[in-house]
Amino acid sequence: MTERGKFVAYLMTLFIVSWLTAPAWLAAGLGAALILCGRDAGRLLRRALLATVAFSGTVSLAYLAHSWWLGRPPPLGWLLAANLRVLLMALLTFLFIARVNLFQALAFSRRLSFLLVLAVSQSMGLRRTLAEFRLGLHSRSPRPAGIKARYRAAAHAAAWLLDRALANAHESAQAMQSRGMFR
Amino acid sequence: MHIPDGFIAPQLYLPLYGIAAGLWAHGAKRVARDLDETTLPWLASLTAASFALSFVALPLPGGTSAHVTGVGLLAASFGVWNAFMAASLVFAIQALLFGDGGVTTLPLNALAMGFAGALAARGLFLALRRFHTGLALFLAGWIGLFLPALLIALALGAQPLIAHDAVGAPLYFPFGWAVTLPALLIPHALLGLGEGALTVLGGGLIERLRRRYRHD
Repeated sequence: MTERGKFVAYLMTLFIVSWLTAPAWLAAGLGAALILCGRDAGRLLRRALLATVAFSGTVSLAYLAHSWWLGRPPPLGWLLAANLRVLLMALLTFLFIARVNLFQALAFSRRLSFLLVLAVSQSMGLRRTLAEFRLGLHSRSPRPAGIKARYRAAAHAAAWLLDRALANAHESAQAMQSRGMFR
Repeated sequence: MHIPDGFIAPQLYLPLYGIAAGLWAHGAKRVARDLDETTLPWLASLTAASFALSFVALPLPGGTSAHVTGVGLLAASFGVWNAFMAASLVFAIQALLFGDGGVTTLPLNALAMGFAGALAARGLFLALRRFHTGLALFLAGWIGLFLPALLIALALGAQPLIAHDAVGAPLYFPFGWAVTLPALLIPHALLGLGEGALTVLGGGLIERLRRRYRHD
């Protein structure tokens, strides 16, 4: 199957799963997805859990507490179905990320590919430098930095980021012009 | 915290995809009309900046932090369509390359944050900048965060009404507007103050940089 075919298959599967509300079907889907993951099943399941636990966990606990507060029985059916659906959809996404090259899947459009490659490569660089800024603030502060210092650091990081992004745009434009792109 | 896939019912995300697709097609046409060796890197860099801005932590009292969206800043400085297309690309990249957020929540985020937030921010900025540029940027940043929070609270709170079983129990997001509106609006009204402050700082900087690159 081509990368584009896999992309379409992923979107179709996600669409079908989003309609499922019966825990049995969702559990069967999760089992099938884990089989598809093969040897990566444990790693991908962990990533899917980590990516969704903050939101799903907060909503699930709040709904459980809400039911208890109103004197209703615990919503076990909802808890099972909603959490299985969220986990299955996240697992499918991480399986897609692990197995499919998105850049090849979108290669049918030259300009979209250019845009994606430029945006993703710059994003990675900017994100790495921001992480270094954060580490720099920690290493410069013998005690945890106060709110004023953290605010100043955030403002400097945002300013640097915008400066870098505009410089990147300028440099990419010059590089494209010199190579005769779009001509 | 991004809404993962599975909490928004297809009865909502499908029509939202229809609306978003129309706006994406229009936005792509507008951007493509003058998409060349200058505009393409611009859009890519705006996307990258918008993506990276979400990693800038906005410090809150008590040692915690929230994250900047940058929608107000992008809309005030580069216009609604550039902000909308850049924000939509960011949501797509986050969902499809990092598994952050979701494919079914993408149109809600794109319409609420990328379009409505950007439109309100740009409108407020244009209306107020003749009186005071700093205040206009501040309010653009604030509304660029607050309005999307309102729309997302409305969309989440509508889930129990849109998708429920025979006895009325919710099938997707379980809380109604009585919970979602205060839960999202109160913190975002306060977070908007920080976003506004960063928009003032960033807006001034972008203008200076634009002048520098124009003369380069």
